[in-house]
Amino acid sequence: MLKLDKLSKSFGGILATDNVSLELKPNSINAVIGPNGAGKTTLFNLITGKISLDKGQIFIGNKNITNLTESEITHLGVARAFQITNIFPTLSVKDSIKVALLAKQHGLNNMWNRFKTHSINNEAESIAKLSGLTKSYDTISSELSHGDQKLLDIALALALKPKVLLLDEPTAGMGPEERWKMIDRIQKLWKKTKMTVLFIEHDMDIVFDTAQNIYVLQQGSIIAEGTPKEIKNNKKVIEAYLGGGKK
Amino acid sequence: MLFLNKDNFQRDVFLGLLAWLILIIFYFIFPDPGIHDIIQKVFILGLFAMSLNILIGYLGLIAFGHAAFFASGAYTLGLFLQSDFVLNLASFSIPVAMLLAVLVSSILAALIGVICIRLKDIYFSFLTLAFQMLIYSIILALVNITGGDQGLMGGFPKPPFLGIDLGKPFDFYAFTIFISIITIVLLRQIIESPFGYGLRMIRDNSERPAALGFSNQKHKLIAFIIAGSIAGLAGSLQALLDVGAYPEWAFWSKSAEPLFMILLGGMHSFLGPLMGALIFEILNDFVTANTRYYGLVLGLVILCFVLGLKKGLLDWILIKFNRK
Repeated sequence: MLKLDKLSKSFGGILATDNVSLELKPNSINAVIGPNGAGKTTLFNLITGKISLDKGQIFIGNKNITNLTESEITHLGVARAFQITNIFPTLSVKDSIKVALLAKQHGLNNMWNRFKTHSINNEAESIAKLSGLTKSYDTISSELSHGDQKLLDIALALALKPKVLLLDEPTAGMGPEERWKMIDRIQKLWKKTKMTVLFIEHDMDIVFDTAQNIYVLQQGSIIAEGTPKEIKNNKKVIEAYLGGGKK
Repeated sequence: MLFLNKDNFQRDVFLGLLAWLILIIFYFIFPDPGIHDIIQKVFILGLFAMSLNILIGYLGLIAFGHAAFFASGAYTLGLFLQSDFVLNLASFSIPVAMLLAVLVSSILAALIGVICIRLKDIYFSFLTLAFQMLIYSIILALVNITGGDQGLMGGFPKPPFLGIDLGKPFDFYAFTIFISIITIVLLRQIIESPFGYGLRMIRDNSERPAALGFSNQKHKLIAFIIAGSIAGLAGSLQALLDVGAYPEWAFWSKSAEPLFMILLGGMHSFLGPLMGALIFEILNDFVTANTRYYGLVLGLVILCFVLGLKKGLLDWILIKFNRK
């Protein structure tokens, strides 16, 4: 579904992404792990076109999306949620989702309808339901709990009906109990929508429990990939990341 | 009245016409020309301030050169009515002149906007200010056409059209308020449309829309053009009122006036800037009649609003009212 072919990117002499290749199967759920500064978020930024590549190619299905703009790539079916919640503080949950839905459909140029009574309301409601935001549907985004803000960030991505969903640390800043709730929600989403999911996560228990495939990044390159079982027993990984308790 | 509970275009048109009728009745109940003058000015300046608030309140861009469009509207109308076309068009000259004023202002806004909207924050503000001062300098330099620092000299004719004679105080009063209210109703439609929510989205978070497959720049430019056109319309009404146009209308201090009105009335309620214009005009009238220190009093009042209410009056009232 998503194929990266030898991606490289450097910032002022530091190689942030070093010859990264991977291929995600359709309808799979996959994780990227790695220590801080390993280049996980950079990888997401490259895939979504937020920053430009130095080398390599990116494909969605058979479509080459290398060097397309962020907006074009979004329209081709790649959506992301952000590590630092990236929402619209003064809009309600409902209005935020509607805005996202309309953005995708080029509906925000419309000046002749009323936004409040727009026919997109039903669709917005079903996305809120899917994201578990029905209770806070009319709440202003800045007044949501941290967890719900994270969910809203994901809901905005879901509104785009993506083929590939990238989640950058969906459980960042949450307590253990909240984390599991979040990951439960993501698993349900994934099963219902049949998207291809790639997520970044620090909690190893969550990663081993959730992902079908794990990619381990270190200093910009993939040092290991495989099923949770394979990764658990990989010497390189134990040395670099799991072992020693080093950060 | 069930009809009034629906927030739609038809209701706004109804409320707008109702407000117009009430103000017409008001004209006859209070025959003092001084009051009529204040109300006319409140609508003209209110239109100017509301147009600026599209950028400040809804898009989050502090434009500091908005008077450029006010002045371009005023000068376009004045120069057109001074030209020979008026004789040819006769009774249609005022409507045509107003349309031209809006058109020229929107073209100017497109030209200035396409450059300015690439910038953010203070850089955007200063670039709009720079363009405004450029317009000001052009007006001063083209003495043969604009009259330079004297303003448009010699006045211009105001031929009656459709039975409306803007030379008569009542006709002018009713016409100005009618045009203003129609524009306000249309503006509300735009602000409450998906387009208007696109503006709020950009204001709230200018990074995220790209990740939703949305391009900010086009949206910002259209908003800038709409704001410029309405400011041009306000300028053309002001020119009709004063039968002239003056270079001070393109000076930076003229751009500060709608900013004061927005601060006084509130930037988060649709009619806030209009209320700000009302406070501004009443203060202007009352204070200048009693003291020379107008600027000092205005400054103190704004301080009270900013430090006391921490928001514009209408914003404050609406929040207070909703909590009860």
